[in-house]
Amino acid sequence: MTAAAPMLEISNLHARLADGREILRGIDLSVNSGEVHAIMGPNGSGKSTLAAVLAGRDGYEMSEGTVTYLGRDLFAMPAEERAREGLFLAFQYPVEIPGVNNMYFLRAAINAQRRHRGEPELDAGQFLRAVRAKLKLLDIGEDLLQRAVNVGFSGGEKKRNEIFQMAMLEPRLAILDETDSGLDIDALKVVARGVNQQRAPDRAIVMITHYQRLLGYVEPDRVHVLQGGRIVECGDKDLAVELERRGYGLLGDATAAE
Amino acid sequence: MSAVVDFPVKPEARPYLDAFGSGDPGRRAREPDWLAGYRGRSLARFAELGFPSRHSEAWRYLDLRALEQTPMLPAGAARPVAGEATRAQLAVVGFAGAAYRLVLVDGRFSPELSAIEGLPSGVWLGGMAAAVTERPDLARSAIEAPLETARPFAALNAAFFADGFVLDIAPGVALDRPVEIIHLASGGTGSSLHTRSLVMAGAGSRASILETFAGHGSYWRNDVVELRLATGAEFARVGLVEEAPDALHIGEMLAVLGPASRIASFVLLLGGRTVRHEATVQSQGEATHCALHGAFVLSGRQEANIVTTVDHAAPGGETREVFKGVAAGRAHGAFQGRITVRPGAQKVDAHQLSRNLVLSPRAAIDTKPELEIYADDVKCSHGAAVGDLDEAALFYLATRGIGRKEARHMLIEAFVREAVELVGSPQLREHLLSRLARRLAMLEE
Repeated sequence: MTAAAPMLEISNLHARLADGREILRGIDLSVNSGEVHAIMGPNGSGKSTLAAVLAGRDGYEMSEGTVTYLGRDLFAMPAEERAREGLFLAFQYPVEIPGVNNMYFLRAAINAQRRHRGEPELDAGQFLRAVRAKLKLLDIGEDLLQRAVNVGFSGGEKKRNEIFQMAMLEPRLAILDETDSGLDIDALKVVARGVNQQRAPDRAIVMITHYQRLLGYVEPDRVHVLQGGRIVECGDKDLAVELERRGYGLLGDATAAE
Repeated sequence: MSAVVDFPVKPEARPYLDAFGSGDPGRRAREPDWLAGYRGRSLARFAELGFPSRHSEAWRYLDLRALEQTPMLPAGAARPVAGEATRAQLAVVGFAGAAYRLVLVDGRFSPELSAIEGLPSGVWLGGMAAAVTERPDLARSAIEAPLETARPFAALNAAFFADGFVLDIAPGVALDRPVEIIHLASGGTGSSLHTRSLVMAGAGSRASILETFAGHGSYWRNDVVELRLATGAEFARVGLVEEAPDALHIGEMLAVLGPASRIASFVLLLGGRTVRHEATVQSQGEATHCALHGAFVLSGRQEANIVTTVDHAAPGGETREVFKGVAAGRAHGAFQGRITVRPGAQKVDAHQLSRNLVLSPRAAIDTKPELEIYADDVKCSHGAAVGDLDEAALFYLATRGIGRKEARHMLIEAFVREAVELVGSPQLREHLLSRLARRLAMLEE
């Protein structure tokens, strides 16, 4: 690890819902450029809340703690600015947007980012060339791009579309929320290949998952276990294998006993 | 001067009666007796009815008090002037594709702005005033058809219409390009423009029209168009309302469907202070197909109503309706859609959908489906919804770097686009989408 500051630094993060229920109860996590992290945990542990809070979803109150992204206070930026600064969230349940053409949407996204960076917008031709190069990677037919965003897509198509968007947007930090859920083994392999091809020294990837399955294809540098709104254990890829064997239950007992 | 009358007169109708008595003697001298008689009867009908009351179901959502207080009498008989401003307006609202174009300025046919040459044989297109004398065979039967129900503004229109258009298509003729009718207003203030038009689609004919309403000034447009489809005729009408910000637009479309005929109507209401579009379709023959779609996009203090009635009097008819409404600012929109299936009109299949977006706390949209079914073997359904933009979709777009304003714009455009895409002609669809984009750019300023 270098002496440079981490790309993402989460310190003692607490987040609660409008009704006062505290979901995140003191998260500490540090992610460096070039690393792949896995955050595992049982249902209700706060995994998806962590992803949502980082991406900027409304409806949470961050009562304590800080998150620094590329040296800036993440919570000072609205969701779209985080995205333009290279933060990407692959949704567990990608949203269907009737009437908005997938290509049109993606070009608007890319051009919003390019404007933010002071780069010229891509015209239709340039954009199409960029798209074609990345489509093959994820085994996506061009017809999918002519349809409305996620409308009528199968579960697998939706997840592949998320990773395809990631490939197009080339984020600095990608958070993949349960990207493996609902995928059969072939689709899982395609998605994993897409993720692996996007590993890069200047990019960090955080995979949030319930199961070890995806980690068999995308090998993480670090594995964290999230439980009851806290990270209760950290390790390398072997921790994921161990968790698969012994389950989260035992850990839960250990935490409770602390 | 008050005309001497021997029928009951509602007070708000009085100024119109006076205007009828004093206005344009030249026209009456030129017009045939049957038309003069018809105008007189219509005026009496209007005087008796007065303005529609908000207690009448079809008018409950529209505020006509301003019109009741300040009469807007018919514009004078001056020949329309194709001035610079009018030509500029034409260039803005005109359809760029190939079309036969007929332009009406201040409610009167303007030959110099029109381009109707090259029509296939068997097609007659011209002004209503000309048709009254040149083609009384067409005009008389349609105009004189009795006004059976209480339609006060149609009656007023009959009394005062100066012109309009007539399109007659012989059996079996298919038009190779759309007919574009453009109604312009040159900037008068405080007067009303009454236009009356007629389409006769012969058996097995195929045609489409784009009717655009635009203008400068503060005026009241009172337009009536009647479509008669013979057996197996296919006819499409696109109505685009882009009236001046101060204008009042009351438009009525009446369609009578013969056996196995197909009508596709689409209206897009974008401009005007108060706009009402009423479509009445009488399915009188068996196995007709009626596609009745449309949308309104409102902001500021705009008001718009879409009122539809489809009356299935014969078996086997099919009706499809999709209406979308968008209201921002302090605008108010309403959709009222009635579908009637008469006794014996078995196997009718009708579906109606009204979906609406209310974008600000002070905007409102009312939607009121009415199904009246008197036959037992039919399929009829409706759906209605009023809501705001989908927050989940807005967040999804934000996580892709798309700012809130652009994201809202994208979702609103997509919402209306779904209705516009029901227009069959790709060129007309593109035209509507470009007019829509222009309107949406000003929606939430």
